[in-house]
Amino acid sequence: MSKPLKIVLKILGILFLLFTGTFIIYFFNLDMKLTSMIEPFLLKHYDNIPRNRHL
Amino acid sequence: MAKEIGADRLGDFYVAGSKVRNRREWRGVQDTLYDYSRWLKIMMTLGKFMMKPRNVKAFFRYRWMANYLAVPMMVDRHTQGLRGEYLRMCHTEQDLIIDDVAKLLDNLFRGDRRIGNDTEFSKKVVLVDENEMTAVMMGFPMLKCLSRETPSTYVSVLLNQHAAEHYIDVAQEFGLAGDVCPMPEAEAGVSIDDDAPVLGACAIQCNTTCDGSLLGNGVISKRLELEDGVPVFQLAAPLRHREDDVQEYAAQEIRNAIAFVEKHTGVKWDWKEYFECAKRVNYATKCRQEWLDMNRTDYPQVFGSNLALYTETNYMAICGRVADFEKADRKLSKLAQQAYKKKMRAAKEYRHRAIVWGVQSHFYMDFLVWLLNCWGIVPLTDMLSMVSTKMIAEEDTPENREQAYYDMAWLTENMIMRNRTHGGYRVLLDELWQFTEEFNADMVILWEHICCKALDGMHGLFEDRARDLGINLVWVQHDLFDPRIINRQGVRDQINNYMRTVMREEPIDPSLEILPDEESW
Repeated sequence: MSKPLKIVLKILGILFLLFTGTFIIYFFNLDMKLTSMIEPFLLKHYDNIPRNRHL
Repeated sequence: MAKEIGADRLGDFYVAGSKVRNRREWRGVQDTLYDYSRWLKIMMTLGKFMMKPRNVKAFFRYRWMANYLAVPMMVDRHTQGLRGEYLRMCHTEQDLIIDDVAKLLDNLFRGDRRIGNDTEFSKKVVLVDENEMTAVMMGFPMLKCLSRETPSTYVSVLLNQHAAEHYIDVAQEFGLAGDVCPMPEAEAGVSIDDDAPVLGACAIQCNTTCDGSLLGNGVISKRLELEDGVPVFQLAAPLRHREDDVQEYAAQEIRNAIAFVEKHTGVKWDWKEYFECAKRVNYATKCRQEWLDMNRTDYPQVFGSNLALYTETNYMAICGRVADFEKADRKLSKLAQQAYKKKMRAAKEYRHRAIVWGVQSHFYMDFLVWLLNCWGIVPLTDMLSMVSTKMIAEEDTPENREQAYYDMAWLTENMIMRNRTHGGYRVLLDELWQFTEEFNADMVILWEHICCKALDGMHGLFEDRARDLGINLVWVQHDLFDPRIINRQGVRDQINNYMRTVMREEPIDPSLEILPDEESW
Protein backbone atom coordinates (compact mmCIF):
# COMPACT_ATOMS: atom_id res chain seq x y z
CA MET A 1 0.00 0.00 0.00
CA SER A 2 1.42 3.38 -1.01
CA LYS A 3 2.20 6.01 1.63
CA PRO A 4 -0.35 8.64 0.42
CA LEU A 5 -3.10 5.99 0.44
CA LYS A 6 -2.13 5.02 4.00
CA ILE A 7 -2.40 8.67 5.09
CA VAL A 8 -5.80 9.04 3.42
CA LEU A 9 -7.04 5.85 5.10
CA LYS A 10 -5.71 7.04 8.45
CA ILE A 11 -7.51 10.39 8.09
CA LEU A 12 -10.71 8.62 7.06
CA GLY A 13 -10.35 6.28 10.06
CA ILE A 14 -9.90 9.21 12.45
CA LEU A 15 -12.90 11.00 10.93
CA PHE A 16 -15.00 7.85 11.24
CA LEU A 17 -14.02 7.42 14.90
CA LEU A 18 -14.76 11.10 15.59
CA PHE A 19 -18.15 10.79 13.91
CA THR A 20 -19.00 7.58 15.78
CA GLY A 21 -17.91 9.01 19.13
CA THR A 22 -19.78 12.28 18.77
CA PHE A 23 -22.85 10.60 17.32
CA ILE A 24 -23.05 8.27 20.34
CA ILE A 25 -22.78 11.31 22.65
CA TYR A 26 -25.49 13.06 20.62
CA PHE A 27 -27.91 10.18 20.33
CA PHE A 28 -27.76 8.99 23.92
CA ASN A 29 -27.88 12.58 25.19
CA LEU A 30 -24.61 12.01 27.06
CA ASP A 31 -23.69 15.71 26.87
CA MET A 32 -26.82 16.70 28.80
CA LYS A 33 -26.51 13.80 31.23
CA LEU A 34 -22.98 14.97 32.10
CA THR A 35 -23.87 18.66 32.46
CA SER A 36 -26.90 17.84 34.61
CA MET A 37 -24.52 16.13 37.06
CA ILE A 38 -22.29 19.23 37.19
CA GLU A 39 -25.10 21.69 38.04
CA PRO A 40 -25.50 20.87 41.80
CA PHE A 41 -21.78 21.48 42.40
CA LEU A 42 -21.98 24.79 40.59
CA LEU A 43 -24.97 25.91 42.67
CA LYS A 44 -23.03 25.16 45.87
CA HIS A 45 -20.15 27.20 44.52
CA TYR A 46 -22.41 30.19 43.78
CA ASP A 47 -23.85 30.00 47.31
CA ASN A 48 -20.35 30.52 48.69
CA ILE A 49 -19.51 33.68 46.71
CA PRO A 50 -19.45 36.77 48.95
CA ARG A 51 -22.07 39.27 47.76
CA ASN A 52 -23.11 42.82 48.49
CA ARG A 53 -26.82 42.04 48.76
CA HIS A 54 -29.14 44.98 49.24
CA LEU A 55 -32.09 46.79 47.72
CA MET B 1 -37.71 5.02 16.21
CA ALA B 2 -39.18 6.12 12.93
CA LYS B 3 -38.84 8.56 10.10
CA GLU B 4 -42.58 9.28 9.88
CA ILE B 5 -44.10 12.18 11.76
CA GLY B 6 -45.97 11.03 14.86
CA ALA B 7 -44.67 7.45 14.79
CA ASP B 8 -42.75 7.83 18.08
CA ARG B 9 -44.27 7.88 21.56
CA LEU B 10 -42.63 11.15 22.57
CA GLY B 11 -43.44 10.76 26.26
CA ASP B 12 -41.12 7.75 26.44
CA PHE B 13 -38.08 10.05 26.27
CA TYR B 14 -38.78 11.49 29.71
CA VAL B 15 -37.21 10.00 32.85
CA ALA B 16 -38.87 10.56 36.23
CA GLY B 17 -36.75 12.68 38.58
CA SER B 18 -34.20 13.51 35.90
CA LYS B 19 -33.26 16.91 34.52
CA VAL B 20 -32.73 15.47 31.06
CA ARG B 21 -34.21 12.94 28.63
CA ASN B 22 -32.96 9.42 28.09
CA ARG B 23 -31.93 9.95 24.45
CA ARG B 24 -32.49 12.07 21.37
CA GLU B 25 -35.01 11.23 18.67
CA TRP B 26 -34.37 9.11 15.62
CA ARG B 27 -35.97 11.05 12.76
CA GLY B 28 -34.85 8.93 9.79
CA VAL B 29 -31.30 9.09 8.40
CA GLN B 30 -31.50 12.48 6.69
CA ASP B 31 -33.24 14.42 9.45
CA THR B 32 -31.24 12.76 12.24
CA LEU B 33 -27.96 13.63 10.52
CA TYR B 34 -29.23 17.18 9.99
CA ASP B 35 -30.18 17.49 13.67
CA TYR B 36 -26.82 15.98 14.66
CA SER B 37 -24.96 18.53 12.47
CA ARG B 38 -26.86 21.40 14.14
CA TRP B 39 -26.06 19.91 17.57
CA LEU B 40 -22.37 19.92 16.58
CA LYS B 41 -22.68 23.58 15.55
CA ILE B 42 -24.25 24.48 18.91
CA MET B 43 -21.47 22.61 20.74
CA MET B 44 -18.91 24.56 18.71
CA THR B 45 -20.62 27.87 19.54
CA LEU B 46 -20.55 26.96 23.24
CA GLY B 47 -16.96 25.70 22.99
CA LYS B 48 -15.83 28.91 21.27
CA PHE B 49 -17.55 30.96 23.96
CA MET B 50 -15.79 29.06 26.75
CA MET B 51 -12.38 29.41 25.07
CA LYS B 52 -12.17 32.98 26.37
CA PRO B 53 -10.82 33.10 29.96
CA ARG B 54 -13.11 36.04 30.87
CA ASN B 55 -16.16 33.98 29.93
CA VAL B 56 -14.94 31.10 32.12
CA LYS B 57 -14.46 33.59 34.96
CA ALA B 58 -18.02 34.89 34.43
CA PHE B 59 -19.35 31.33 34.35
CA PHE B 60 -18.07 30.80 37.88
CA ARG B 61 -19.19 34.25 39.08
CA TYR B 62 -22.82 34.50 37.98
CA ARG B 63 -25.35 31.95 39.21
CA TRP B 64 -27.59 32.33 36.16
CA MET B 65 -24.74 31.22 33.90
CA ALA B 66 -25.27 27.62 35.13
CA ASN B 67 -28.51 27.57 33.12
CA TYR B 68 -26.51 27.76 29.92
CA LEU B 69 -25.46 24.15 30.52
CA ALA B 70 -28.94 23.34 29.19
CA VAL B 71 -28.67 25.06 25.79
CA PRO B 72 -28.77 21.87 23.64
CA MET B 73 -31.74 20.59 25.63
CA MET B 74 -33.71 23.78 25.01
CA VAL B 75 -33.33 23.16 21.29
CA ASP B 76 -34.37 19.51 21.72
CA ARG B 77 -37.52 20.61 23.52
CA HIS B 78 -38.57 22.86 20.64
CA THR B 79 -37.67 20.39 17.89
CA GLN B 80 -39.61 17.54 19.50
CA GLY B 81 -41.38 15.49 16.85
CA LEU B 82 -40.38 17.81 14.00
CA ARG B 83 -39.24 16.59 10.61
CA GLY B 84 -38.23 18.06 7.25
CA GLU B 85 -38.79 21.78 6.72
CA TYR B 86 -40.23 22.30 10.22
CA LEU B 87 -37.06 20.94 11.80
CA ARG B 88 -34.97 23.19 9.57
CA MET B 89 -37.07 26.27 10.38
CA CYS B 90 -36.71 25.60 14.08
CA HIS B 91 -32.93 25.19 13.86
CA THR B 92 -32.56 28.28 11.63
CA GLU B 93 -34.18 30.35 14.36
CA GLN B 94 -32.82 28.68 17.46
CA ASP B 95 -29.23 28.47 16.25
CA LEU B 96 -29.26 32.16 15.32
CA ILE B 97 -30.74 33.13 18.68
CA ILE B 98 -28.09 31.03 20.47
CA ASP B 99 -25.38 32.75 18.46
CA ASP B 100 -26.84 36.17 19.23
CA VAL B 101 -27.12 35.45 22.96
CA ALA B 102 -23.51 34.13 23.01
CA LYS B 103 -22.36 37.45 21.48
CA LEU B 104 -24.46 39.39 24.00
CA LEU B 105 -22.88 37.49 26.91
CA ASP B 106 -19.39 37.93 25.47
CA ASN B 107 -19.92 41.70 25.18
CA LEU B 108 -21.42 41.98 28.67
CA PHE B 109 -18.43 40.22 30.22
CA ARG B 110 -15.96 42.23 28.15
CA GLY B 111 -17.21 45.46 29.67
CA ASP B 112 -18.13 44.09 33.10
CA ARG B 113 -16.06 45.78 35.83
CA ARG B 114 -15.79 42.45 37.70
CA ILE B 115 -14.75 40.36 34.70
CA GLY B 116 -13.21 41.83 31.52
CA ASN B 117 -13.17 45.44 32.77
CA ASP B 118 -12.55 46.88 29.29
CA THR B 119 -13.30 50.50 30.21
CA GLU B 120 -13.07 51.89 26.67
CA PHE B 121 -15.57 49.29 25.48
CA SER B 122 -17.84 49.95 28.46
CA LYS B 123 -18.05 53.63 27.45
CA LYS B 124 -19.72 52.51 24.21
CA VAL B 125 -22.35 50.39 25.95
CA VAL B 126 -25.95 51.50 26.47
CA LEU B 127 -27.90 49.16 28.76
CA VAL B 128 -31.55 48.46 27.92
CA ASP B 129 -34.30 46.47 29.63
CA GLU B 130 -35.09 42.91 28.57
CA ASN B 131 -38.66 43.77 27.70
CA GLU B 132 -37.89 46.89 25.73
CA MET B 133 -38.14 47.81 22.09
CA THR B 134 -34.64 48.68 20.91
CA ALA B 135 -35.87 51.06 18.17
CA VAL B 136 -34.24 53.98 19.92
CA MET B 137 -30.82 52.40 19.26
CA MET B 138 -31.31 51.92 15.50
CA GLY B 139 -29.25 55.02 14.66
CA PHE B 140 -26.30 54.28 16.91
CA PRO B 141 -24.16 51.70 15.03
CA MET B 142 -21.05 52.75 16.97
CA LEU B 143 -22.64 51.85 20.28
CA LYS B 144 -23.43 48.47 21.81
CA CYS B 145 -27.00 48.10 22.99
CA LEU B 146 -26.89 45.39 25.65
CA SER B 147 -29.48 43.95 27.97
CA ARG B 148 -28.39 42.37 31.25
CA GLU B 149 -31.85 41.00 31.99
CA THR B 150 -32.12 39.07 28.71
CA PRO B 151 -29.41 36.51 29.58
CA SER B 152 -29.83 36.57 33.35
CA THR B 153 -33.58 35.98 33.54
CA TYR B 154 -35.42 35.85 30.21
CA VAL B 155 -33.22 33.31 28.39
CA SER B 156 -32.33 31.51 31.62
CA VAL B 157 -35.97 30.54 32.23
CA LEU B 158 -36.25 29.31 28.64
CA LEU B 159 -33.28 27.06 29.35
CA ASN B 160 -34.19 25.90 32.83
CA GLN B 161 -37.71 26.16 34.25
CA HIS B 162 -36.32 26.64 37.78
CA ALA B 163 -33.86 29.39 36.82
CA ALA B 164 -35.73 32.34 38.34
CA GLU B 165 -36.75 30.73 41.64
CA HIS B 166 -33.63 31.78 43.54
CA TYR B 167 -33.97 35.42 42.43
CA ILE B 168 -37.72 35.56 43.16
CA ASP B 169 -36.95 34.34 46.70
CA VAL B 170 -34.17 36.91 47.12
CA ALA B 171 -36.52 39.75 46.08
CA GLN B 172 -39.17 38.58 48.55
CA GLU B 173 -36.56 38.13 51.28
CA PHE B 174 -35.92 41.88 50.91
CA GLY B 175 -39.59 42.73 51.31
CA LEU B 176 -40.84 42.92 47.74
CA ALA B 177 -44.41 41.73 47.28
CA GLY B 178 -44.95 38.06 46.45
CA ASP B 179 -47.95 38.57 44.22
CA VAL B 180 -46.45 40.73 41.50
CA CYS B 181 -45.32 39.40 38.13
CA PRO B 182 -42.33 37.11 38.78
CA MET B 183 -40.49 38.39 35.70
CA PRO B 184 -39.62 41.91 36.92
CA GLU B 185 -39.40 40.48 40.43
CA ALA B 186 -36.69 38.04 39.31
CA GLU B 187 -34.91 40.83 37.44
CA ALA B 188 -34.93 42.93 40.61
CA GLY B 189 -33.73 39.82 42.50
CA VAL B 190 -30.68 39.57 40.24
CA SER B 191 -29.80 43.18 41.06
CA ILE B 192 -30.40 42.73 44.82
CA ASP B 193 -28.34 39.52 44.80
CA ASP B 194 -25.42 41.47 43.31
CA ASP B 195 -25.51 39.16 40.33
CA ALA B 196 -25.75 41.59 37.42
CA PRO B 197 -22.75 42.60 35.31
CA VAL B 198 -21.72 46.20 35.94
CA LEU B 199 -20.92 48.21 32.83
CA GLY B 200 -22.15 50.89 30.47
CA ALA B 201 -22.03 54.60 29.75
CA CYS B 202 -25.74 54.92 30.46
CA ALA B 203 -28.99 52.94 30.50
CA ILE B 204 -32.51 53.31 29.14
CA GLN B 205 -35.37 51.76 31.05
CA CYS B 206 -38.90 51.59 29.73
CA ASN B 207 -42.30 51.56 31.43
CA THR B 208 -42.74 48.20 29.80
CA THR B 209 -46.05 46.67 30.69
CA CYS B 210 -47.14 46.96 34.26
CA ASP B 211 -46.75 48.09 37.85
CA GLY B 212 -44.51 45.10 38.56
CA SER B 213 -42.18 46.17 35.81
CA LEU B 214 -41.99 49.72 37.17
CA LEU B 215 -41.23 48.29 40.61
CA GLY B 216 -38.40 46.14 39.23
CA ASN B 217 -36.93 49.01 37.24
CA GLY B 218 -36.96 51.22 40.32
CA VAL B 219 -34.85 48.73 42.27
CA ILE B 220 -32.44 48.19 39.39
CA SER B 221 -32.00 51.86 38.48
CA LYS B 222 -31.34 52.83 42.10
CA ARG B 223 -28.34 50.52 42.19
CA LEU B 224 -27.20 51.50 38.70
CA GLU B 225 -27.32 55.25 39.36
CA LEU B 226 -26.36 55.57 43.01
CA GLU B 227 -23.85 52.73 43.34
CA ASP B 228 -22.49 52.01 39.88
CA GLY B 229 -22.61 55.57 38.55
CA VAL B 230 -24.54 54.63 35.41
CA PRO B 231 -27.15 57.33 34.57
CA VAL B 232 -30.57 55.96 33.65
CA PHE B 233 -33.20 57.45 31.33
CA GLN B 234 -36.81 56.49 31.97
CA LEU B 235 -38.56 56.14 28.62
CA ALA B 236 -42.24 56.52 29.44
CA ALA B 237 -44.17 55.39 26.39
CA PRO B 238 -47.93 56.07 26.45
CA LEU B 239 -50.12 53.12 27.37
CA ARG B 240 -53.15 54.28 25.33
CA HIS B 241 -51.10 53.70 22.21
CA ARG B 242 -53.96 53.66 19.71
CA GLU B 243 -54.97 57.25 20.55
CA ASP B 244 -53.76 59.97 18.18
CA ASP B 245 -53.39 62.56 20.89
CA VAL B 246 -50.60 60.67 22.66
CA GLN B 247 -48.33 60.33 19.63
CA GLU B 248 -46.63 63.73 19.83
CA TYR B 249 -45.74 63.08 23.46
CA ALA B 250 -44.44 59.61 22.52
CA ALA B 251 -42.25 61.06 19.73
CA GLN B 252 -40.85 63.66 22.15
CA GLU B 253 -39.87 60.86 24.55
CA ILE B 254 -37.86 59.29 21.71
CA ARG B 255 -36.14 62.63 20.93
CA ASN B 256 -35.29 62.96 24.63
CA ALA B 257 -33.93 59.40 24.83
CA ILE B 258 -31.70 59.95 21.78
CA ALA B 259 -30.41 63.26 23.21
CA PHE B 260 -29.68 61.46 26.51
CA VAL B 261 -27.63 58.75 24.77
CA GLU B 262 -25.74 61.35 22.69
CA LYS B 263 -24.94 63.33 25.84
CA HIS B 264 -23.60 60.38 27.83
CA THR B 265 -21.70 58.59 25.06
CA GLY B 266 -20.58 61.50 22.90
CA VAL B 267 -21.81 59.59 19.82
CA LYS B 268 -24.11 61.29 17.31
CA TRP B 269 -27.26 59.75 15.83
CA ASP B 270 -26.66 58.30 12.34
CA TRP B 271 -29.66 58.71 9.99
CA LYS B 272 -28.15 56.58 7.24
CA GLU B 273 -27.87 53.62 9.61
CA TYR B 274 -31.32 54.28 11.02
CA PHE B 275 -32.96 53.98 7.60
CA GLU B 276 -30.96 50.81 6.83
CA CYS B 277 -32.38 49.28 10.01
CA ALA B 278 -35.85 50.58 9.09
CA LYS B 279 -35.66 48.64 5.80
CA ARG B 280 -34.87 45.46 7.73
CA VAL B 281 -37.73 46.11 10.18
CA ASN B 282 -40.09 46.41 7.20
CA TYR B 283 -38.70 43.25 5.62
CA ALA B 284 -39.25 41.33 8.88
CA THR B 285 -42.81 42.70 9.03
CA LYS B 286 -43.47 41.64 5.43
CA CYS B 287 -42.18 38.11 6.12
CA ARG B 288 -44.21 37.81 9.32
CA GLN B 289 -47.34 38.87 7.47
CA GLU B 290 -46.69 36.24 4.79
CA TRP B 291 -46.31 33.55 7.44
CA LEU B 292 -49.50 34.66 9.14
CA ASP B 293 -51.30 34.61 5.77
CA MET B 294 -50.20 30.98 5.33
CA ASN B 295 -51.45 30.23 8.81
CA ARG B 296 -54.91 31.40 7.77
CA THR B 297 -55.03 28.52 5.24
CA ASP B 298 -55.32 24.77 5.83
CA TYR B 299 -51.53 24.47 5.65
CA PRO B 300 -49.99 26.70 8.33
CA GLN B 301 -46.21 26.62 8.24
CA VAL B 302 -44.45 29.03 10.65
CA PHE B 303 -46.48 28.63 13.82
CA GLY B 304 -46.25 27.56 17.47
CA SER B 305 -42.92 28.21 19.13
CA ASN B 306 -41.32 28.61 15.68
CA LEU B 307 -43.34 31.81 15.34
CA ALA B 308 -43.47 32.95 18.96
CA LEU B 309 -39.82 32.78 20.04
CA TYR B 310 -38.48 34.16 16.80
CA THR B 311 -40.90 37.09 16.67
CA GLU B 312 -40.07 38.06 20.24
CA THR B 313 -36.37 38.15 19.43
CA ASN B 314 -36.48 39.62 15.94
CA TYR B 315 -39.18 42.24 16.48
CA MET B 316 -38.15 43.62 19.83
CA ALA B 317 -34.56 42.75 20.74
CA ILE B 318 -33.14 42.99 17.22
CA CYS B 319 -35.42 45.63 15.63
CA GLY B 320 -33.54 45.71 12.32
CA ARG B 321 -30.12 46.21 13.91
CA VAL B 322 -28.62 42.81 12.97
CA ALA B 323 -28.34 41.89 9.29
CA ASP B 324 -28.16 38.14 10.03
CA PHE B 325 -31.81 38.16 11.03
CA GLU B 326 -32.79 39.41 7.56
CA LYS B 327 -31.01 36.38 6.08
CA ALA B 328 -32.88 34.14 8.52
CA ASP B 329 -36.20 35.79 7.54
CA ARG B 330 -35.44 35.00 3.90
CA LYS B 331 -34.48 31.40 4.65
CA LEU B 332 -37.55 30.84 6.81
CA SER B 333 -39.83 32.21 4.11
CA LYS B 334 -38.21 29.91 1.55
CA LEU B 335 -38.64 26.84 3.78
CA ALA B 336 -42.23 27.81 4.55
CA GLN B 337 -43.05 28.24 0.85
CA GLN B 338 -41.51 24.84 0.06
CA ALA B 339 -43.53 23.13 2.77
CA TYR B 340 -46.70 24.98 1.74
CA LYS B 341 -46.35 23.89 -1.89
CA LYS B 342 -45.93 20.29 -0.74
CA LYS B 343 -48.98 20.73 1.56
CA MET B 344 -46.89 19.50 4.46
CA ARG B 345 -48.08 19.18 8.04
CA ALA B 346 -45.99 19.22 11.20
CA ALA B 347 -47.95 16.52 13.03
CA LYS B 348 -49.78 13.40 11.95
CA GLU B 349 -53.19 14.85 12.74
CA TYR B 350 -54.55 18.40 12.95
CA ARG B 351 -57.77 18.43 14.98
CA HIS B 352 -58.24 22.00 16.14
CA ARG B 353 -57.13 25.40 14.91
CA ALA B 354 -56.26 27.57 17.90
CA ILE B 355 -55.33 31.14 18.67
CA VAL B 356 -53.15 31.30 21.78
CA TRP B 357 -53.90 34.49 23.72
CA GLY B 358 -52.58 36.09 26.87
CA VAL B 359 -49.03 35.90 28.18
CA GLN B 360 -47.55 32.41 27.94
CA SER B 361 -45.92 30.51 30.78
CA HIS B 362 -42.30 31.33 30.13
CA PHE B 363 -41.03 28.27 31.98
CA TYR B 364 -42.94 26.11 29.53
CA MET B 365 -42.41 27.69 26.12
CA ASP B 366 -42.41 24.29 24.42
CA PHE B 367 -46.03 23.85 25.55
CA LEU B 368 -47.05 24.87 22.02
CA VAL B 369 -45.17 21.86 20.62
CA TRP B 370 -46.88 19.67 23.21
CA LEU B 371 -50.35 20.98 22.22
CA LEU B 372 -49.70 19.89 18.66
CA ASN B 373 -48.15 16.51 19.39
CA CYS B 374 -50.45 15.44 22.21
CA TRP B 375 -53.86 16.75 21.14
CA GLY B 376 -53.47 17.87 17.51
CA ILE B 377 -54.20 21.49 18.50
CA VAL B 378 -52.45 23.75 15.99
CA PRO B 379 -51.32 27.01 17.65
CA LEU B 380 -51.77 29.19 14.54
CA THR B 381 -50.56 32.33 16.22
CA ASP B 382 -50.19 33.81 19.69
CA MET B 383 -50.81 37.18 21.28
CA LEU B 384 -47.13 38.05 21.46
CA SER B 385 -46.69 37.48 17.73
CA MET B 386 -49.58 39.79 16.81
CA VAL B 387 -47.50 42.94 16.89
CA SER B 388 -47.31 45.99 14.64
CA THR B 389 -47.75 45.36 10.91
CA LYS B 390 -47.34 49.03 10.00
CA MET B 391 -44.58 49.80 7.50
CA ILE B 392 -42.25 52.52 8.77
CA ALA B 393 -40.54 55.25 6.71
CA GLU B 394 -37.38 53.80 5.16
CA GLU B 395 -36.13 56.48 2.75
CA ASP B 396 -33.84 59.17 4.07
CA THR B 397 -35.67 62.46 3.35
CA PRO B 398 -36.16 65.52 5.61
CA GLU B 399 -39.85 64.65 6.06
CA ASN B 400 -39.04 61.04 6.90
CA ARG B 401 -36.48 62.10 9.49
CA GLU B 402 -39.32 63.78 11.35
CA GLN B 403 -41.62 60.82 10.71
CA ALA B 404 -38.93 58.48 12.09
CA TYR B 405 -39.45 59.79 15.63
CA TYR B 406 -43.12 58.86 15.37
CA ASP B 407 -42.22 55.45 13.91
CA MET B 408 -39.79 54.66 16.71
CA ALA B 409 -42.39 55.85 19.21
CA TRP B 410 -45.02 53.64 17.56
CA LEU B 411 -42.73 50.59 17.76
CA THR B 412 -41.89 51.36 21.40
CA GLU B 413 -45.54 51.75 22.31
CA ASN B 414 -46.32 48.54 20.44
CA MET B 415 -43.62 46.38 21.90
CA ILE B 416 -44.47 42.76 22.51
CA MET B 417 -47.11 42.13 25.20
CA ARG B 418 -47.84 45.79 26.06
CA ASN B 419 -49.46 46.37 22.63
CA ARG B 420 -52.22 43.96 23.78
CA THR B 421 -52.23 44.17 27.57
CA HIS B 422 -52.53 47.96 27.39
CA GLY B 423 -54.27 50.17 24.89
CA GLY B 424 -57.86 49.44 25.75
CA TYR B 425 -60.57 46.90 25.39
CA ARG B 426 -60.24 46.76 21.58
CA VAL B 427 -56.65 45.49 21.36
CA LEU B 428 -57.06 42.74 23.94
CA LEU B 429 -60.62 41.55 23.50
CA ASP B 430 -62.21 42.73 20.23
CA GLU B 431 -59.21 41.92 18.05
CA LEU B 432 -58.96 38.41 19.45
CA TRP B 433 -62.37 37.53 17.98
CA GLN B 434 -61.40 39.23 14.75
CA PHE B 435 -58.33 36.97 14.57
CA THR B 436 -60.30 33.81 15.38
CA GLU B 437 -62.50 34.60 12.38
CA GLU B 438 -59.61 35.49 10.06
CA PHE B 439 -57.68 32.36 11.01
CA ASN B 440 -60.76 30.18 10.95
CA ALA B 441 -59.96 29.05 14.49
CA ASP B 442 -62.36 26.92 16.52
CA MET B 443 -60.42 27.20 19.76
CA VAL B 444 -58.77 29.84 21.93
CA ILE B 445 -56.13 28.80 24.45
CA LEU B 446 -56.23 31.64 26.94
CA TRP B 447 -53.25 31.92 29.23
CA GLU B 448 -54.15 33.36 32.59
CA HIS B 449 -51.00 34.63 34.24
CA ILE B 450 -52.26 34.63 37.83
CA CYS B 451 -50.03 37.51 38.96
CA CYS B 452 -50.82 39.75 35.99
CA LYS B 453 -53.09 42.54 37.20
CA ALA B 454 -53.58 43.89 33.67
CA LEU B 455 -55.71 40.93 32.55
CA ASP B 456 -57.49 39.82 35.71
CA GLY B 457 -60.58 41.97 35.22
CA MET B 458 -61.33 40.68 31.74
CA HIS B 459 -62.06 37.04 32.62
CA GLY B 460 -65.85 37.21 32.38
CA LEU B 461 -65.79 39.34 29.23
CA PHE B 462 -63.72 36.73 27.41
CA GLU B 463 -66.10 33.96 28.48
CA ASP B 464 -69.22 35.86 27.40
CA ARG B 465 -67.89 36.57 23.94
CA ALA B 466 -66.54 33.04 23.41
CA ARG B 467 -69.96 31.64 24.35
CA ASP B 468 -71.71 34.02 21.94
CA LEU B 469 -69.40 33.06 19.09
CA GLY B 470 -69.34 29.31 19.80
CA ILE B 471 -65.56 29.24 20.29
CA ASN B 472 -63.99 26.63 22.60
CA LEU B 473 -62.23 28.75 25.19
CA VAL B 474 -59.68 26.94 27.36
CA TRP B 475 -58.23 28.81 30.34
CA VAL B 476 -54.71 27.84 31.28
CA GLN B 477 -53.42 29.30 34.54
CA HIS B 478 -49.71 29.72 35.28
CA ASP B 479 -47.29 31.99 37.12
CA LEU B 480 -45.01 32.98 34.24
CA PHE B 481 -41.51 32.40 35.74
CA ASP B 482 -42.36 30.29 38.76
CA PRO B 483 -43.23 26.59 38.22
CA ARG B 484 -43.58 26.05 41.98
CA ILE B 485 -47.03 27.70 41.88
CA ILE B 486 -48.45 25.74 38.94
CA ASN B 487 -46.04 23.24 37.47
CA ARG B 488 -45.83 22.04 33.87
CA GLN B 489 -48.12 19.09 34.54
CA GLY B 490 -50.57 21.51 36.19
CA VAL B 491 -50.53 23.51 32.95
CA ARG B 492 -51.03 20.38 30.84
CA ASP B 493 -53.81 19.05 33.09
CA GLN B 494 -55.97 22.09 32.33
CA ILE B 495 -55.86 21.17 28.64
CA ASN B 496 -56.17 17.43 29.32
CA ASN B 497 -59.29 17.96 31.44
CA TYR B 498 -60.93 20.18 28.84
CA MET B 499 -60.14 17.86 25.96
CA ARG B 500 -61.44 14.79 27.78
CA THR B 501 -64.49 16.22 29.51
CA VAL B 502 -65.73 18.95 27.16
CA MET B 503 -64.41 17.79 23.79
CA ARG B 504 -64.69 14.05 24.62
CA GLU B 505 -61.47 13.34 22.75
CA GLU B 506 -58.58 10.96 23.23
CA PRO B 507 -54.99 12.21 22.84
CA ILE B 508 -53.12 11.57 19.60
CA ASP B 509 -50.03 10.61 21.59
CA PRO B 510 -51.21 9.29 25.01
CA SER B 511 -47.62 9.04 26.27
CA LEU B 512 -47.53 12.86 26.42
CA GLU B 513 -50.62 13.34 28.57
CA ILE B 514 -48.81 12.97 31.89
CA LEU B 515 -45.08 13.61 31.93
CA PRO B 516 -42.60 13.29 34.81
CA ASP B 517 -40.85 16.60 34.10
CA GLU B 518 -41.13 18.44 37.41
CA GLU B 519 -37.38 18.14 38.01
CA SER B 520 -36.49 18.66 34.38
CA TRP B 521 -34.59 21.67 33.06
